[in-house]
Amino acid sequence: MNYPVFLALILALVAAVAWPRFGLLALWQRLRANRRRIRTEDALKHLHACAWRGQSATLQSLAGALHLTLAGAVRLVGELEAQGLLRAAEDGLHLTPDGEQIAVAVIRAHRLWERYLVDEARMPLAEVHHEAERREHSRSAEALGALDAALGHPAADPHGDPIPTVTGRIERVESRPLTDWPLDAPARIVHLEDEPAALFAQIAAEGLRPGQTLRVLESAPQRLTLSDGRKTFALAPLVAANIFVAPEPANGHPADRRLTALKQGERALVRALDDGLQGFTRRRLLDLGLTPGVPVTAELPSLFGDPVAYRVRGTLIALRRDQAEQVLIAEPASAAPAPSPSAQE
Amino acid sequence: MTTPPTQADTLLARADALRQALPENFRDQLVQALYTEAESVARRAVRAEGQRTDWDSRLDRLVTSPLFGLPIMLLILAVVFWLTITGANVPSALLADGLFWFEDQAAALFTALGAPWWLTGFVWHGVWRSLAWVVSVMLPPMAIFFPCFTFLEDLGYLPRVAFNLDWLFKQAGAHGKQSLTMTMGFGCNAAGVIATRVIDSPRERLIAILTNNFVPCNGRFPTLIMLATVFVAAAFPPALASVAAAGSVVMVVLIGVLFTLVISALLSRTLLRGEASAFSLELPPFRRPDVKRILYTSLIDRTIFVLWRAIQTAAPAGAVIWLLANLTLGGRALAWHVADFLNPLGWAIGLDGVILLAYIIAIPANEIVVPTMLMVYMGVGMMTDTPGLTELRTLLIGQHGWTMLTAVNLMLFALLHNPCATTILTMWKETHSLKWTTLGALGPLAIAFLVCFITASLARLLGWA
Amino acid sequence: MSVDCESCPANAALAQMGLDVSNFDYLVALAGNPNTGKSTVFNALTGLKQHTGNWPGKTVTRAEGGYQFQGKRYKLVDLPGTYSLLSASQDEEIARNFILFGQPDCTIVVTDATCLERNLNLVLQVLEISDRAVVCVNLMDEARRKGLRVDVRGLARDLGVPVVATAARAGEGLGDLLGAVAEVAGGQVRVAPRRVAANAALEHALRELLPLIEAAAPGLPNPRWVALRLLDGDQRIRQALLTGELNDIAQRQREAVRRFSRKMAVEGAQ
Repeated sequence: MNYPVFLALILALVAAVAWPRFGLLALWQRLRANRRRIRTEDALKHLHACAWRGQSATLQSLAGALHLTLAGAVRLVGELEAQGLLRAAEDGLHLTPDGEQIAVAVIRAHRLWERYLVDEARMPLAEVHHEAERREHSRSAEALGALDAALGHPAADPHGDPIPTVTGRIERVESRPLTDWPLDAPARIVHLEDEPAALFAQIAAEGLRPGQTLRVLESAPQRLTLSDGRKTFALAPLVAANIFVAPEPANGHPADRRLTALKQGERALVRALDDGLQGFTRRRLLDLGLTPGVPVTAELPSLFGDPVAYRVRGTLIALRRDQAEQVLIAEPASAAPAPSPSAQE
Repeated sequence: MTTPPTQADTLLARADALRQALPENFRDQLVQALYTEAESVARRAVRAEGQRTDWDSRLDRLVTSPLFGLPIMLLILAVVFWLTITGANVPSALLADGLFWFEDQAAALFTALGAPWWLTGFVWHGVWRSLAWVVSVMLPPMAIFFPCFTFLEDLGYLPRVAFNLDWLFKQAGAHGKQSLTMTMGFGCNAAGVIATRVIDSPRERLIAILTNNFVPCNGRFPTLIMLATVFVAAAFPPALASVAAAGSVVMVVLIGVLFTLVISALLSRTLLRGEASAFSLELPPFRRPDVKRILYTSLIDRTIFVLWRAIQTAAPAGAVIWLLANLTLGGRALAWHVADFLNPLGWAIGLDGVILLAYIIAIPANEIVVPTMLMVYMGVGMMTDTPGLTELRTLLIGQHGWTMLTAVNLMLFALLHNPCATTILTMWKETHSLKWTTLGALGPLAIAFLVCFITASLARLLGWA
Repeated sequence: MSVDCESCPANAALAQMGLDVSNFDYLVALAGNPNTGKSTVFNALTGLKQHTGNWPGKTVTRAEGGYQFQGKRYKLVDLPGTYSLLSASQDEEIARNFILFGQPDCTIVVTDATCLERNLNLVLQVLEISDRAVVCVNLMDEARRKGLRVDVRGLARDLGVPVVATAARAGEGLGDLLGAVAEVAGGQVRVAPRRVAANAALEHALRELLPLIEAAAPGLPNPRWVALRLLDGDQRIRQALLTGELNDIAQRQREAVRRFSRKMAVEGAQ
């Protein structure tokens, strides 16, 4: 190879590596800084979670949560202490006010993203935690504020956990694990612990979600038998301990009948939209006229049986199965109430 | 904050505080209050006098029935295509004759006035010829297809199609209305991309935009039909020839639908995971369409619009084509130098350098792929119409070494390759995103190369080519 | 609207929405649910004097056109078809913002006579924002076929704005529609639109906010609606309050009232 070409190649290579802001070196640095920030935030989050549960975080628990070696955890704690984000004491690791602020901001981001993923991206509940873990580190305060506003300032995430306000206040919801709940007393799920993931996947697979009302029918050392009025569930106590419940409020609805229960040509009155349905889809269904008390007729299944077209306030609206599943209807009345003129046809 | 709070700030702070105290479902209550009010007003204003036969419901049950729903849909689609193809033949030929006649006259006039040959060639045999080609191939089918489409739309039938097929598209993470934008894509992919506006969910709309290219538009159909008649039909006995040719085109379209669904599913599970998504679909009552409105929407909004964008891109392409064919370097046309350069790449995917060259030049408009290819093969200075079947076979198979592999891969390439410049531009206008536009342009190209490379390698390994 | 000032805030707002602010006397917006024959009404009114484009920065089609009636030039803007103005979809935002910030001299709400209840939901929402509105009960031919009778006068009494029955495809009732629009746009009729009552908790919050709104943007035509939007955390309305856009609306409203009373005084003197 001749000399000038060789020189040009060398120069190009050097430029590609060392170019400020776009070179490989800069890229690598950015990646590293980013990784370090993510680790910091995860560590602070862990400390906050421990404090929230009334436990104290230790080097061991930190190493376990972040998948670090003990030596790695020691190094990390040293770094964070030097930055004034945490304090190591006799009884464990504690957040400083600065550390607390960062932790709460990350938790806010995490829970807002979970809300977004469930409400707007319509992702299954079991998948959102992982995706939110990825997204929680990469947004500015302004962008989060906009997300919060776009979601309508939600108070809780889809697991039932409170979303911290922008000032860092977190409402505490009083709750107990299902394993401590008396038999036969109605209980409303307020929180599903999403870690460890394997246990949460079992909960999600059973179709249990916050806002649902349950009764414990039977409690044996091997398993708990639950009922939501329609279906019974059997859970290992290990799994049930990750379900946190509170007394059912006055307007809870056990044994809900849903729009999907209607056969072709059948008619029912809408009672409410499921509380699990939030965001744009909820607003859209309401705007289409699916408000409490309105008569709905299942009129037309499509070629494959899903979606189904329902007659609502004089118009045929197609709803997919998962949407119709979220519309609660009243029990069939023997005599249909007098229809309003525009709702008949 | 250093400045004292203004009245507006006080108001906002108060509103925020009051919101915290409101019940969580106060938005629901608001909508409910509106509807309750609407109900009471409507009850006073509307009086029903007797019940009439409900034709709507009967028709609805027919077009969504498991037995007749699909056949009716396919029948209507087939009628629309038949109308478009047969109906466009005569006007297309007339238009081509007229425009090319004008080219001859104008060129003759230029020559008579003593204009240099390159000016006449560049303006009339380059730019004008390309325009004429695009217009005569594109305009008549669109002027028939789009009104048919708009007619079905206004009639209320198309929402039923979306309704019927939604389940299928839901499996791919897409919206049933994508079936409509795909159908529109048969007319023109750019129009198909614009038509995605009917999908009001951001993620499903992006999917529809990015995959619209996998239905062949009417600019690509001529290529498919030519290949089907020259190669596929010739491989069958005469009695079966036309059936085989039609069958192979249908096959290609089905492969396109398959790719649409698979790529849609991939996109929704990877890149578009976590984009906002919603589903809503109203089935409006069947209505007698308003003919004036149909003509206006389909001709002004769709046909003229698409035609104008195509003209804007076809004219420069015509200039480039003419230059490539007429500038020589070392005694050979520039086009051949480029084609030779592209040959190894073309060979790897079972095509050749000339075909790739034609596709590069034809980025502005797919209608001119075949004319450009023939121009280079025949060594003439301007785009050339398809000669008779036998001449074509001699030219392609005898002189330029085409095989069945070339034909199959060219069909696949025509189906899958990058969208035309008009469509890319439209993608940009519809998404305002460099990222999605780039993906929409280069993604299909990569897929086309990959698929053709695989088929070529397989065929060579198995000794078929 | 008499357009004699290119830099007026209202004209600036219109220009931002991509509207040519010259060459018309009145600005009319066309709202309505999808599938109510809204575009048939639009075509019937404007004929071929129309052109389509996009809303600035959006991929939502907008058609606008013009017509003349009794010597006045009207500009008609076709808003996206929506069921509501609350969901905050792109279409609804555009329609809402145009009615609020574009300050049309009249908003025609096209409704489907065969399912009036669903359509009245949108009518009531438009009336919350703007009092200069005409309700067009379209598809009367279809309603007749289905055996439905609509009491248009009763409806007008109930809603507090003019109501016109039309069958746009057959050209029926369009003259009446033009007349009603001219009366509302020219300020010849006093409208008293129906406003929806809220429940107790909301009413309490509204009562607290109303004086604050009156202080921040005195003379707004729709303070209750603005209060509701602020309670809902509507970003666009917050922004409008902070940038003073709401004040501009209030300003124009005050001028309109002054003009109207002066005109009444002059006419009364003759």
